[in-house]
Amino acid sequence: MLRLVAKRLLGTASGDIPSRPLQILPRLYHENVIDHYNNPRNVGSFDKNDPNVGTGLVGAPACGDVMKLQIKIDEESGKIVDACFKTFGCGSAIASSSVATEWVKGKSMDEVLTIKNTEIAKHLSLPPVKLHCSMLAEDAIKAAVKDAEAKRAKTNATLKGADVKSG
Amino acid sequence: MASRLPLLRRISKLFKAPPPAPLRSSRRSLSLRFLLPQAPTPNVSPWSFASSRSFCSGPLNIPQDSQGPAPIDYRSVLLEDEFHGLANSTIHDLQEKLEEYGDVVELDGFDVDYGNEVLTLKLGALGTYVMNKQTPNRQIWLSSPISGPSRFDWDHNAQAWVYRRTKANLLKLLESELEQLCDQLQRKITSNRFQSISIVAYLEIVHVIVLVTGRRYDI
Repeated sequence: MLRLVAKRLLGTASGDIPSRPLQILPRLYHENVIDHYNNPRNVGSFDKNDPNVGTGLVGAPACGDVMKLQIKIDEESGKIVDACFKTFGCGSAIASSSVATEWVKGKSMDEVLTIKNTEIAKHLSLPPVKLHCSMLAEDAIKAAVKDAEAKRAKTNATLKGADVKSG
Repeated sequence: MASRLPLLRRISKLFKAPPPAPLRSSRRSLSLRFLLPQAPTPNVSPWSFASSRSFCSGPLNIPQDSQGPAPIDYRSVLLEDEFHGLANSTIHDLQEKLEEYGDVVELDGFDVDYGNEVLTLKLGALGTYVMNKQTPNRQIWLSSPISGPSRFDWDHNAQAWVYRRTKANLLKLLESELEQLCDQLQRKITSNRFQSISIVAYLEIVHVIVLVTGRRYDI
């Protein structure tokens, strides 16, 4: 009898326990998310001390999401010529920040501030619970732009000061 | 319970009014009477910085309302136990009211689920709300099909959950969004589409509003 019980527990009893079909999970990652996860664009980092590089660091490890997004500004035109990111988090967070780096390239700093988390979420078809990842990506862009602008302002102030002294 | 009956009669009167414009104004006056229930006053002892939190420096601390993450007022940081108490009571309160509503009526695709401390409210084709606690930040996170993601902090002065960026109040936001969903349904009714489901759903959504902010009607 013990053997029978053991067999049943292990599911090897013949005929009695029907084999359960594989449960297909109702929620799947959208193919765009999988694409960005498997082939992330612009992973890496720039030198944060470069005056033309703006760094946005958002999130917290305790929350399970940290994004670092960096943008390289062209001195003359003020446009973003290059961007890179590093993200610690779920697939949706990685995809959101990857999309963000793609979208900021070639745009001006004012223009990228108009990028909304809803657009990122729509592009990746994020489920409700993952909308927060897209918001974090939007915040990362804003933080990077803010840092870049602060650096430019600082550089301009230093240059003006130098002019005054030499003049 | 008894106080809901005259309200339902009022709702059905509203519904019978032919043109949508007066309907809208009377619904507005209905919503104005919705005062939010006072949340329980917690006994807040002097804050202590929780060591589990680690926030990034720089961008996060720059005060700016419209752009970027909101600044953190460390003076009002909740202790973890207090946060759990407040957040749990808010979420459970909402869950009970929504379940009550779900028991009474049947909206196609309606579902309230609470699992792993996450409250999920499905409104069929109208979308899904997800609400959960974010303990390291002492926040309640909400994902809405209308306003997207929001993060609510406990505001001592207002005694409510407030989203710092937009100054939105959690319960008020839910109330106004459910009203908006009502509007959407109302437009569908007047355009003669989805009539049978919408009529029931319209009454149901308004019923939810009553339940969510329903304490007033118990007076």
